[in-house]
Amino acid sequence: MSDPKKEGEGLKGAAFSGGKSSLETVLGFLKRTLAEGCFDALLLPVKAPGGDSFPYVLVQDKALLEDRGSPLPPIMPVQGGKAVSSLTRRGKAPRKVAALMRPCEVRATIELFKLAQVDLENIFLISIDCPGVLPVKDFAADPEKGMAAFGEVLEKWGDRKVRPVCQICHRFTAPLSDDGAGMVVDLHIGLLGIEDGEVLLIPYSPAGEEILAKLDLVPAAGGDILSAWRDRANELTKKRGEERRRAQEEMKSKVRGLNNLLETFDKCINCHNCMRVCPVCYCRLCYFDSEAVKHPPDDYLRRAGDWGSIRFLPDTILFQVGRMSHMSLSCVSCGTCEDACPMDIPVAQVFSLVADEAQEYFGYLPGRSTDEPIPLATYKEEELEEVEDAPQGASSETKEKDG
Amino acid sequence: MEEDFMPRIIGFLCKWCTYAGADLAGVSRIQYPPSILPIRVMCSSRVDPLFVISSFLRGADAVLVAGCHPGDCHYQRGNYYTRRRYAVLRKIFEELGLEADRLRLSWISASEGRRFADVITDYTERIKKKGPNPVKKEVFL
Ligand code: SF4
Ligand code: SF4
Ligand code: SF4
Ligand code: FES
Repeated sequence: MSDPKKEGEGLKGAAFSGGKSSLETVLGFLKRTLAEGCFDALLLPVKAPGGDSFPYVLVQDKALLEDRGSPLPPIMPVQGGKAVSSLTRRGKAPRKVAALMRPCEVRATIELFKLAQVDLENIFLISIDCPGVLPVKDFAADPEKGMAAFGEVLEKWGDRKVRPVCQICHRFTAPLSDDGAGMVVDLHIGLLGIEDGEVLLIPYSPAGEEILAKLDLVPAAGGDILSAWRDRANELTKKRGEERRRAQEEMKSKVRGLNNLLETFDKCINCHNCMRVCPVCYCRLCYFDSEAVKHPPDDYLRRAGDWGSIRFLPDTILFQVGRMSHMSLSCVSCGTCEDACPMDIPVAQVFSLVADEAQEYFGYLPGRSTDEPIPLATYKEEELEEVEDAPQGASSETKEKDG
Repeated sequence: MEEDFMPRIIGFLCKWCTYAGADLAGVSRIQYPPSILPIRVMCSSRVDPLFVISSFLRGADAVLVAGCHPGDCHYQRGNYYTRRRYAVLRKIFEELGLEADRLRLSWISASEGRRFADVITDYTERIKKKGPNPVKKEVFL
């Protein structure tokens, strides 16, 4: 495994071209899959008639695909995981559907599969190298400017214009390891390090290989394009990892401690948008929308009596921390919650910070495998003794400010 | 300042082990501080992390989740899940710089009246040293 000569031998890729730009080439590829009957429908972002949004559309009509299909839209108005889940929540797709999504959306789809809210049978997963997306509000304010800005983003791969979580995303591509371990996907479309007009099709599953074979595309191991893609992807992954660490340290200094936490969330208007759009906030009825969080007046008056005063609506921090305790292990750092927050609270930056830590603790990576259970759904008989009774070195960071 | 500060500890105690252990401590007349406010749950796994966060944010000075020793859960596996959920919650508290040492998970069986008293005494002492939960000063929670 550690033999350096083996590097690159496991992955195979087939070059594909034909369009003026790489994204046009992707459309060309998708059209061919429909024409050859590889799939009965495609689920992908499609430019809305107004040109100001890119919802997911289940497309069978090749003309629509050609006119409006957007394999890599400038924004993420709906998380792809949610789209697949609304398609298959009531059961498997009766015919073959290929879903084209960004890597964080694919990961969310896999988490939802584990939570029995996505049926993957007949769903073929395609991911694509992602340069990030623009904040949805910026785009809505001026779509034309947004399109131009995204053009630059595509060119530079790492522009400051994309959302903060995208700027520090280090899982924007498919697994680079030889064994392909790291994300469940059937086929990945590589754009990085590749000439405009061309794309790289990398199969990650037998189904992916089958599709390429059906289209007479022969993926080769090694090869210039594959290594160019891999080198660029590797380099960027490393750079982003460093940026992520740096940005997270900075975020920590802003959010850690009771006072900081309160300051971060004190603008919150309790709209719960962040929960509603989050792909992995999986409950059919969120606890925080249920009657369980509504108390009799007497209770509030008692609390106000004990403390002097109490805010309404109450329990803002309870909602935030409670939500983290439910879904941190599956958070895919997609930024959808932050996009949806009307108050510009850095929700996703805070959630992904906590999530990274929680996931690392369990050695868990959302979307990595369909067999690996979500850590809260399993256990070992002997483990975690360090959290029992009174662990040493427990933090008491809130002290400093409360003096 | 905290000479006569008696912490208020919310204890989620499983009916089959810890609650019975608390009872035994009582009938055996073992002394322990009057800090604990016990809430009986059917199993430690009934404790959604939200109960703990909610208690903490509503001003409990500390929270205890306690149940049967691993392997002894009345429902076989409940406390294993409890431990995982609790571990995540603790991580979140640590990461957010909330006071994770105001949370505790302990296994206390029905026959461990002495251990129950010891755990409460030890926990109470620790929290006494820390002082009251600072959330009590916060209106904008
Ligand atoms: S919490 Fe936010 S960043 Fe994490 S998965 Fe949900 S929407 Fe995405
Ligand atoms: S916050 Fe918790 S209860 Fe609400 S939807 Fe998310 S996971 Fe479910
Ligand atoms: S979307 Fe923003 S304002 Fe709305 S509940 Fe979430 S954090 Fe609060
Ligand atoms: S019954 Fe005691 S922990 Fe489950």
